[in-house]
Amino acid sequence: MSADIAITTRVAEQRRRGAIGDVVFRALTFLFALLVLLILGGVIVALVEGAIPALRTFGVSFLYAEVWNPVTEKFGALAPIYGTLVTSAIAMLIGIPVAFGVAVFITEICPIQLKRPLATMIELLAAIPSIIYGIWGLFVFAPFVQQYIEPAIIDTLGQVPGIGALFAGPPLGIGVLTAGFILAIMVLPFISSIMRDVFETVPPMLKESAYGLGATRTEVVWQVVLPFTRIGVVGGVMLGLGRALGETMAVTFVIGNAHRISASILQPGTTISASLANEFTEAVGDLYLSSLIALGLVLFVITFIVLAIAKFMLLELQKRAGS
Amino acid sequence: MSPATSRQVMPLSLAGSLAADPEAAPRQKVLIRNVDFFYGTFKALKNVTMPLHDKRVTAFIGPSGCGKSTLLRVLNRIYELYPGQRAGGEVIIDGENILSPRVDLNLLRARIGMVFQKPTPFPMSIYDNIAFGIRLYEKVPHHELDDRVESALRRAALWDEVKDKLRQSGLGLSGGQQQRLCIARAVAVRPEILLLDEPASALDPLSTQRIEELIAELKADYCIAIVTHNMQQAARSSDYTAFMYLGELIEFDETERIFTRPKQKHTEDYITGRFG
Amino acid sequence: MGVYRRRRLVNRMVMGLAVAATAFGLLWLVLVLWTLIENGVAAITRALFSQMTPPPGSAGGLLNAIFGSVVMTLIATLIGTPTGILAGTFLAEYSRGGRFGEVVRFINDILLSAPSIIVGLFVYEIMVVKMGHFSAWAGAVALAIIVIPVVVRTTEDMLNLVPNALREAASALGSPKWKVIVMVSYRAAIQGMVTGVMLAVARIAGETAPLLFTALNNQFWSTNMNGPMANLPVVIFQFAMSPYADWQVLAWGGALLITITVLLLNIGARALASWGTFKQ
Repeated sequence: MSADIAITTRVAEQRRRGAIGDVVFRALTFLFALLVLLILGGVIVALVEGAIPALRTFGVSFLYAEVWNPVTEKFGALAPIYGTLVTSAIAMLIGIPVAFGVAVFITEICPIQLKRPLATMIELLAAIPSIIYGIWGLFVFAPFVQQYIEPAIIDTLGQVPGIGALFAGPPLGIGVLTAGFILAIMVLPFISSIMRDVFETVPPMLKESAYGLGATRTEVVWQVVLPFTRIGVVGGVMLGLGRALGETMAVTFVIGNAHRISASILQPGTTISASLANEFTEAVGDLYLSSLIALGLVLFVITFIVLAIAKFMLLELQKRAGS
Repeated sequence: MSPATSRQVMPLSLAGSLAADPEAAPRQKVLIRNVDFFYGTFKALKNVTMPLHDKRVTAFIGPSGCGKSTLLRVLNRIYELYPGQRAGGEVIIDGENILSPRVDLNLLRARIGMVFQKPTPFPMSIYDNIAFGIRLYEKVPHHELDDRVESALRRAALWDEVKDKLRQSGLGLSGGQQQRLCIARAVAVRPEILLLDEPASALDPLSTQRIEELIAELKADYCIAIVTHNMQQAARSSDYTAFMYLGELIEFDETERIFTRPKQKHTEDYITGRFG
Repeated sequence: MGVYRRRRLVNRMVMGLAVAATAFGLLWLVLVLWTLIENGVAAITRALFSQMTPPPGSAGGLLNAIFGSVVMTLIATLIGTPTGILAGTFLAEYSRGGRFGEVVRFINDILLSAPSIIVGLFVYEIMVVKMGHFSAWAGAVALAIIVIPVVVRTTEDMLNLVPNALREAASALGSPKWKVIVMVSYRAAIQGMVTGVMLAVARIAGETAPLLFTALNNQFWSTNMNGPMANLPVVIFQFAMSPYADWQVLAWGGALLITITVLLLNIGARALASWGTFKQ
């Protein structure tokens, strides 16, 4: 009996320690979860704080002025914003169909043994760091484009009346199109991976009933799989877009860093992230620095909105797939 | 009276109890009194009242969704891990209402052991699995811990099979062995009550039989409550049976009586297989 | 042409395009890796690992850059991993559908895909400006901010895979909740959690933008965390954009080093992740 009493006192001791442990551990995990929110909050505050001088000086015109003159200290974000949007648009135009094709191939066509290795290889495209694409783009791809691709484009599409202006100009290799193309390669694994995951959520019975009626693969994909996964697909696309908008190093190497808007996508331009990467450490003068930070704020707002939409759509799909 | 009982199999429990405790009248260990249970707004248990006797096996039977597992899980308040689940009424163990908010949950659970439907070995060695519960509340010197682990494994009839691989992962055992590991883990902390939630339903017939033999032995030291959807198992292994339906206790009696002369028609229908 | 023939033709075309798309994607992978090896191999010499970054026009290596990258990656991992694990633990074990948890999860996923140059700007404002100078600490913090969302996500996902029955079994023995998490849940999820950390490290190993305005660069050997420190990505940036041939060779060499590291980590993480599934 005395042994039991001894155990009881030890038990009470352990129990007290356990209870303290529970409180401490829970508080700890809560604090670090809060930290995640604080980081985002901090980013917003820091960007806004840094951008205020520029915003105060230029006002809303900052967003649509196409001027970037460190000497006269006149800054306008139009050229970088334009470049960001156009390169991302090109990336989406090329990347979405290719990603879709890859996703269809891997989920519907590919023999089972090849699925894993192929999926891994496509995902390695995403693993390659941005700067690698950058130097590859600068030394290998851009010269190739300059020598073969761009002359071909200028001679064909560049001659078409109307849209010809889009493809005009001397073939430089570097420029908006090249940057957009490399971006496409970089974002296609993200979009493809989400599409794949989303395609796999389609109940096999649904597909089987379509095949059982004699539908071709294309018809099953187009009329059963896609409508079922529509929201997830859009979510994946938005995620890819979010990545493309924020991509820095690859774009910086090949876009040419010219603060101007050209009609032709064969010409150099700049994006927000490329401007930041190139100019931030050299920026002299508070207004210059603040303008760059204001650029960063614009980029942050744009990507935040795009990523939030992406997340909403993917959550919506999860909810529906759950039911 | 009922065809099901014409098998005339002497319940293991009766044989066991005759051997273990021939004179002492069964002592009431747990009194479940007016217990309700809610999953959110859904009332899963309605005013259940019944006793659990010490050193006896009580079986909870009934069709799916009748609340037998829910009732079992009230007894060690494991439902409190999940928000939105709550219990009303009283469960009195040795004179104390354990549903009271003042009761220390972890200490309560250290007195009550639970084995689940699917074996749940922890991702650690066999030795550590057994020692886990012991280490929670006792500072046991090394050699004594070895003894405790060994005696728990012997009680669960697993010692001979694992004595040479105590340091290997519990996940490497077969399903039946894993379940006996879980039983050993539960008895290692020297509980007073054992709750078994369909312990053999995921196992093959041979392992099931071994588990049932184990329960017959364990009965000598514990108050055991077992949920089972297998009526033959209830008839074989238990002293008392509670038949539940849609959250209510329809009938509670000695097992022999329930399976030969059930008082309620509902009970008779279930036992003869007319539904469920 | 009959309707059926046309449908078959369309199907063949679409399927053909899908094959072409996959080939297209793989083509670029092969091209990039091939030219990387072709150009980078020339730079892999002993000098690369034993000498410092040289001024233009002379020979040298990347030792200070390699050192800086390793140090900052290590510290970022040390800061970011426990933070991410604890936050992910909160989401998986304590939150259970609460509003706060949902918001944290949402924000975390946005941080996960946010432009890394913004992270660099942020750390510039809160550390470089406040301290008055660039520093390797700032670089490590910037990288840590990129590590955290990755680890939070994988930790939460892996802990959610741990079956509830396991937690119940530990609680049924009277275990306090924190021991259930640390001694049972973590152990059950450890494989996936390590995979997550490896992927996070692979991600920051090649990140340039966050280091551009935090750790900056350093021509010389330095172990001073309180000052600018050389690192591979920024060195590659500087050298590759320059007109000097020997600098460009070094840039390729550095690029090859980073890529090998990243690919090994990625493939290793995948191998680790699927190792368990064969075991069970």
